[in-house]
Amino acid sequence: MSDRPEVQLVLPARPEGVGVVRQALSGMADALAIDADVLADMKMAVTEACTNVVLHAYSGAPEPGPLEIGLLAGEDGLTVIVADRGSGIQPRASRAGSPALGLGLPLIAALSNSFELRGSAGGGTEVKMTFLYVRQGDPVQANPIGETGWEPPGEASQQSA
Amino acid sequence: MDANPIVLEDAADDVLAVVVEGEHDIYTAPALRERLDEALAREGGGVVVDLTAATFVDSSILGALLDARRRAQERSQGFVVQVGAGAEPGVQRILDITGLIPVLPVVGDREAAIAAARGGLPSLQDERQA
Repeated sequence: MSDRPEVQLVLPARPEGVGVVRQALSGMADALAIDADVLADMKMAVTEACTNVVLHAYSGAPEPGPLEIGLLAGEDGLTVIVADRGSGIQPRASRAGSPALGLGLPLIAALSNSFELRGSAGGGTEVKMTFLYVRQGDPVQANPIGETGWEPPGEASQQSA
Repeated sequence: MDANPIVLEDAADDVLAVVVEGEHDIYTAPALRERLDEALAREGGGVVVDLTAATFVDSSILGALLDARRRAQERSQGFVVQVGAGAEPGVQRILDITGLIPVLPVVGDREAAIAAARGGLPSLQDERQA
C-alpha cells in the first residue's frame, strides 16, 4: 500500500504539459508542507525529466504519446516517477548541440537525493527520483554536476588577442 | 495577458535588453529564441538578458542563452545575463550549479550589465589575467 502512487497524472507529451506537472508538484508540496528550497529543486529535476520525454520519447511518431507522472509521498521523502511509452532513450551524460544541452540527466542526478533510470513496464523509459523532506545537506554537494561528465561550453567570453 | 512575457526594451542607446518574466521552459524557449534573434539582429549593439523577474528557467532556456552568446561572439556583439537582487533563488541556483555564471557571463545589476554588454567585461578580464 505504501508504494501506491498518491497522485497520478497522464498528459500528452507536449511542451505545454511540463508547466502543468510543476503545478501539480506545487500542490503536493503545499499539502505536505515541503520546504521551498526542496520544492525548487524538485521542480527543476522533474522539469528536466519531462523535457526528456517531450523531446526524445516519441521523436518520429506522428503524435506524441503519454507523459506519465506518479507522486508517492513516503515517510521521509517524496518520490516522483516520470515515465513514457516511447521506444526507450539512450541517455548520455553529454549531448552537445541538443536543444536541452544534455544537462537534463546531470541536473536530475545532482538535485535529487536518489535517482534511478530504467525501462518501464510499458516499453518506454522511467525516471524515479526521491527528494527528502528534510535534508542533511545540499544534494548538489554530494552529487556535483561536474562529476556527471557535463561541462559548461567554452570559457568566459572570447577576448580579442 | 501573457503571464510569462519576454519583451525587448532599450537599456541604452547601444544596448537592448531582453526582459524575461515568469516561468520559462521548453514551451517558451522558442519565443525566447525569437526575441534573442531580434535583439542580435540590431547591428553592432550589445544585448542584456534580464532574468531578475524570471521565476523559473530550465536547461532549454540555458541552451537558448548559450546559443545567443555564441552568435553574439561571432558578430563581436556584447552579450550578458543580468540576475539582479530579489531574483528567485531557483534561477540563481541553476546558473550556480551548472557553472554558467562566468561563461554567459552573469552580472547583478543593470549598470554593470550595460557596461559588460558594451564589451568591457573588466571583472572577467581581470579574473583571466590573475
